Amino acid sequence: MARKDTSRQKKFDTRIDFTPMVDMNMLLITFFMLCTTMIKSQTLQIALPSNEKVEEEQQNKVKQSEAVTIIIDGKIDDKGLSKPDEGMLFYYDGMPPAATEILTNNPMKKVEFGNGNGGALPAIREILRERNKEVVKKIELLKKDWKDMKFSNKEEINDSIYQAKAKEIRNDSTLKRPVIIIKATPNASYAHVVSVLDEMQINNISRYQIDRIGAIDSAMMILVQGQAQ
Amino acid sequence: MGKVKVKKKETRIDMTAMSDVTVLLLTFFMLTSTFLQKEPITVITPPSVSEEKVPDQNLVSVLVSPEGKVYLAITGSKDSTYKSETVRGDILKNMVKSYNEKHPSNKISLTNKEVEEFSKIGAFGVPMSQMKKWLAMDIENRDKALEQGPGIPINMNEDPDNPNEFQMWIRAAYNSLNPELQETMVRGKGIAIKADQTTPYSVVNIVMDNLQTIKMNKFSLMTALKTEEE
Repeated sequence: MARKDTSRQKKFDTRIDFTPMVDMNMLLITFFMLCTTMIKSQTLQIALPSNEKVEEEQQNKVKQSEAVTIIIDGKIDDKGLSKPDEGMLFYYDGMPPAATEILTNNPMKKVEFGNGNGGALPAIREILRERNKEVVKKIELLKKDWKDMKFSNKEEINDSIYQAKAKEIRNDSTLKRPVIIIKATPNASYAHVVSVLDEMQINNISRYQIDRIGAIDSAMMILVQGQAQ
Repeated sequence: MGKVKVKKKETRIDMTAMSDVTVLLLTFFMLTSTFLQKEPITVITPPSVSEEKVPDQNLVSVLVSPEGKVYLAITGSKDSTYKSETVRGDILKNMVKSYNEKHPSNKISLTNKEVEEFSKIGAFGVPMSQMKKWLAMDIENRDKALEQGPGIPINMNEDPDNPNEFQMWIRAAYNSLNPELQETMVRGKGIAIKADQTTPYSVVNIVMDNLQTIKMNKFSLMTALKTEEE
């Protein structure tokens, strides 16, 4: 028998092997996945008062009954960094008292971060909510309307109307609104300052400012800490 | 011949479909990705409930290390007129001008090539007196110099007529030819402070006070999204 096979042409496989291609693609995907940032960081807007010296008569004095001063203190470890889970908050109502009064009548109170009752932030939230209750009550009513989509059927319009109305309430001067003065000692951690600023947003407080710590404040802090020991 | 023909089974899997999927995924990641900005120091920003996003254009971000070193990163507009490169070059020229006015005996001059080199750099932080030397380095040494160097000179300064270098930089950015950057800076969205959560307040306070002195009272603090603990 003559060999038929020799004359037959070899059949070529027309399919291409894609495995290396897939391998390479997978590598590229891994690279892009690791290099991208999906979550963008957030920002917190703050406005500080101008540094210029203002004439005393032109100053808008904060009403005594409305002011609450919060002082943030922290602990520094041996590397010079603030410990984010340790620290204290001090607060008092009204204006700082005269230097002669602080020994007998110290209005300052102290809360520690991370103590048994949930820490300083829930405690300060409670206090701020109480001071700002007129606004908070109105905002809560407004929120109910917003949840029921009372302003508009469209979610976007509903949102924007809610935001505008909430802003109006926050800035309504007929309501009793506190003025929060935030002060921080040099040792306070930045995280605590930000979380106290957060509390302003949570409690719908529109009037707050960051101020420098005064001698009276430091004196009162030392006294309060002395009493506790 | 009564031989039963056994069908030859193909052992290879068809990879075409798999390849399609991976290419699709790859395209998705390539289009959506924004690369991590290389920063001289890594910071973990404090958590906050604020939901406002960081703008991705017309922004001067002030990077503050826990030790108090300050770095700046400038991004321009996304459209072609005021691209980051153009804006950075212009800001550097402004800065050189005001530096030379303040230090008439110690003038520095940068060549066009050096300015061009600077405009490609995302984050910087060297004293102006070392700028020329820094720009002459290659990329690796530059990063090292940033890490070990003193950052942008900053001190507690409340005299707006005698600004320190940090304040001069911010002013240079404000007076650059990009009106969009100026506008965002006035609204308080153009300057963002990025500091680590363990930074002592005294360090952040210096930066804030410096900004206050040159009447940049409004600015933002960079934070991370808070994971709700309640």
